[in-house]
Amino acid sequence: MTNAAQYLFNGLVTGGILALPAVAFSVLWKLLRFPNFAVGAYLTIGAFAALAVNHGLGRGIEWAWLCALAVTGTVAWAVDRVVFHPMRDRRPFALAIASIGVTFFLENTVRFIWGNDYRSYDVPVTRALVWQGLRIGREQLMILGVTVLLVVLVQAFLGWTRLGVAMRATANNPLLARVKGLPTERIVGVATLGGGALAGGAGVFLGLDTTIDPLLGSGLIIAVFAAAILGGIGSAPGALLGALIVGVMEETSTLVIPPTYKSAVGFAIILAVLLVRPQGLAGGRP
Amino acid sequence: MIGYLVAIATLVGIRALLTLGLNVQWGLTGLVNLGVVAFFAIGAYTSGLLAVSGVALPLAWTAALVASGVAGAALALAALRLREDYLAIVTLGFGEVLRLFLLNEAWLTRGANGITGIPRPLHAWFPAHYDLFYLGLVGLAVGTVYLLLERVSISPFGRVLRAIREDETVAAVAGKAVVRFKVQAFVIGAVVAGLAGVFFGHYLAYVEPNMFLPQETLFVWLALILGGSGNNRGAIVGAVLLLGLLEGSRFAKDLIPFLTGVRLAAAQQMLVGVLLVVLMIRRPEGLLPER
Amino acid sequence: MGDEVGRLFQLEDAMSELTRRNLLKTAAAAGLIVGAPAVGRAQSKEPIAIGTLCPLTGAGGAYGPDMQKAIVAVVERINKGGGIQGRPIQLFHEDSQTSPEAAVRAARKLFDVNRVIAIMSTWASAVTLAVKPLAVEAKVFYFSVSGADAVTEGNHGGYIARTQPNTKLQGQVYAKWVLSRKEYKRVAYMALQTPFALPFGDNFMGTLKSGGVSITDNLIYEDKKPSYRSEITRVLATNPDLIMLEGYAPDSVVIAKELYRLSYKGAILGPAFSINAKFIEGAGAEVAEGIWAIDPAPSFDAPAYKQFAAAVPQADKNPYAPQSWDHVTLVGLALAAGRGEASGTAIKDNLRAVSNPPGTVVTSYEDGAKLLREGKKINYEGASGSCDFDAQGDILSRPFGVYQVRKGKIEQVSIVNP
Repeated sequence: MTNAAQYLFNGLVTGGILALPAVAFSVLWKLLRFPNFAVGAYLTIGAFAALAVNHGLGRGIEWAWLCALAVTGTVAWAVDRVVFHPMRDRRPFALAIASIGVTFFLENTVRFIWGNDYRSYDVPVTRALVWQGLRIGREQLMILGVTVLLVVLVQAFLGWTRLGVAMRATANNPLLARVKGLPTERIVGVATLGGGALAGGAGVFLGLDTTIDPLLGSGLIIAVFAAAILGGIGSAPGALLGALIVGVMEETSTLVIPPTYKSAVGFAIILAVLLVRPQGLAGGRP
Repeated sequence: MIGYLVAIATLVGIRALLTLGLNVQWGLTGLVNLGVVAFFAIGAYTSGLLAVSGVALPLAWTAALVASGVAGAALALAALRLREDYLAIVTLGFGEVLRLFLLNEAWLTRGANGITGIPRPLHAWFPAHYDLFYLGLVGLAVGTVYLLLERVSISPFGRVLRAIREDETVAAVAGKAVVRFKVQAFVIGAVVAGLAGVFFGHYLAYVEPNMFLPQETLFVWLALILGGSGNNRGAIVGAVLLLGLLEGSRFAKDLIPFLTGVRLAAAQQMLVGVLLVVLMIRRPEGLLPER
Repeated sequence: MGDEVGRLFQLEDAMSELTRRNLLKTAAAAGLIVGAPAVGRAQSKEPIAIGTLCPLTGAGGAYGPDMQKAIVAVVERINKGGGIQGRPIQLFHEDSQTSPEAAVRAARKLFDVNRVIAIMSTWASAVTLAVKPLAVEAKVFYFSVSGADAVTEGNHGGYIARTQPNTKLQGQVYAKWVLSRKEYKRVAYMALQTPFALPFGDNFMGTLKSGGVSITDNLIYEDKKPSYRSEITRVLATNPDLIMLEGYAPDSVVIAKELYRLSYKGAILGPAFSINAKFIEGAGAEVAEGIWAIDPAPSFDAPAYKQFAAAVPQADKNPYAPQSWDHVTLVGLALAAGRGEASGTAIKDNLRAVSNPPGTVVTSYEDGAKLLREGKKINYEGASGSCDFDAQGDILSRPFGVYQVRKGKIEQVSIVNP
């Protein structure tokens, strides 16, 4: 039935947008041992950085996206140095609370500079392609494509590069890693930079799909959590799969429950996963 | 000026109740409750709905407290098999789902319009200075709850809770039914939060779903962290400091003319963020350490 | 800002050194000193205190700053002209944060510390409903832009007025227009979850049904979602030829863009406070082309509107700022018409005398005040409408304008009379 296929596709696209922050969030949770709520703020910062380039400098959205990656990665790295670095040995709860404080600060910095008004990128809207009765938006296809590519790159990095392997080693056993002389701080720095960049890029996608305002990221954070937990903390492909499933479930849920309860779907997923298979699909555990 | 201070003091009292409740859950037992606002809402809505339907106030209040307790028990039993950081998300989810329920099920909760005209207790007895009377009522509640919780804290029950907070495994090995104690602690906190909700609803004479956003939970945490978690006096102090911060910046802005409107509001919130971070780095135990 | 941060660290050190009691004493003292009313300003003509409680942050944050600017602009003109009966207006601004609890604290400060006699321009219905009992009790006159029916209901003694028509009326008017366009037989209703989604929708759909139009779908959606594709897919599957989109501008932009992508060929109707110039900017001219909008706003040729647009050009795209302009102008005129002490009660007593017919039509404070000094009766017609109020504080029924987006601009097409 075409209709079901349409919902499925819609869900994949939504999941695609969730995937990048979910990967960042999941990998960082495993490495740093706490859920970093600031990922929501990184989404917002990425969207606004791209806005500044797109509107302010008049550049195309591709350039704006690249700038968003750079800016958000840098901000994330700086936050880590200033806030989380002095707290490396604290309990996860304290770090999580600190990350909430960071979110407050970053979101309101954006509000301070740009105000509350909503904005849109300077990008033409195109009609969707029709394929076998399915309506497929051009932008959506591009977002999905870029996302999958990035996740593949991340997985390749973690699996085949020295730094990536060192990152996994540090995540699995930080004490041993330090004893063995791995540059843990540099590893954390690179991971944070990369994670921040991913989230920033996703923020631009979100901004393309909706509108841009300081509350952009905060609406997504629960779905990101759900995706990361479903996929298994620490696994990039797991986070991607988790994101796609969360996206599909959220979109198809409108067939059975009122759309006003869409947010509840994410929570329901979390609860179900934690009760049935807490380690998630890919089996990682922080 | 007096009217303003009385209003602020009343709200401080309500926040103090919320913070005291969280202190039992987190400060004493180490349970991470990110859904404090849910029990606040249950208390306010249950009492509000019943009162507006003509139910006698003492009955409505009892129902509200029972509802909060039952909801707390249900949530705790479902979630307490999980670890620290997972419990956080589950309680957060409960808070949000409850808010959506309040927003969408208008047939029961009046939806986005909220409940107006919630009767104020003994309003007819105090035609003048009603706000002072209400402040007295809230103050009495805070005092009573404080004393009760202090008793709990030094009781054998309280000692078990603290033992659970420090090391669950040891407590379990010592023969304590850890889950049962945790649920009881959670329920106590939930009931106190529900009581805060009751006072809130009757004070404003109006409740609506967007009064119960996740941010409210965050403020309760901030108050507890500020004042010193594990310490009931700290909970009250934290509530005072929090409202002092929120209200103080209101007056500060009258002295800083160049910051206006959105900028000022954003700066205020940035300050909250910075404060939270600085606290967690420099002084995570808060102002008043646990005894 | 550096001051704030510096103060923060001082507080942090204080916490570790001072005892709790000392800290509380210091804070209380600081609060009293800072909060004490401007006693030292001894002058012959004491200023009239008026408060604004616009949404500078929160859900209404996109509208509040310009609403506040509109009020400031009017007050500046009034004060330049010598004030009201020689007394300048002193404005006290607070942020409602689109939160009832925050608004109550702010309102208490405005009433008890600043002693305002009027408060204006709360936006969210929830905020207005929370502050309403306080204003009535304090006998402060209260102007709002909220649309929920409960705002003017009940016994408020005439201290409340609003310049936004209530939702019941709006629903009927929109439906009436749809019925007049015989080509729409299948209508779908999509609304954002707000206090007016249900009452507006019920009246809209009810009126349509009795006119023989079938309602193909009735869907309420949540705010701030990353995608509305599935909601739209569901609605489109029911084959409507008109979609009534009752949301705010940001979500309307998203939904309109998605409808365009999915090649929806039918008509779209929305409230003009959402389908405005900013909407066209956000969605793009091609997406917005042909979208209909209805609004109780007057035509943009109204003299008061022109003055507003000239004085506050950046607020031109804000549907509520013209109302705020009128709020403070009406307060000024009501006070100017009164003989005794300036107070909320004086405003309540004189409002309809200056706002409702009969009387010479005036469109600014200056013109109105001049005629009042000559002892004449006036009828203020404002930037947001003719500003005629009934006993409960609602604006009297009046024509609605119908607009359509054509080639990237909003054009008025016709008028609907309720």
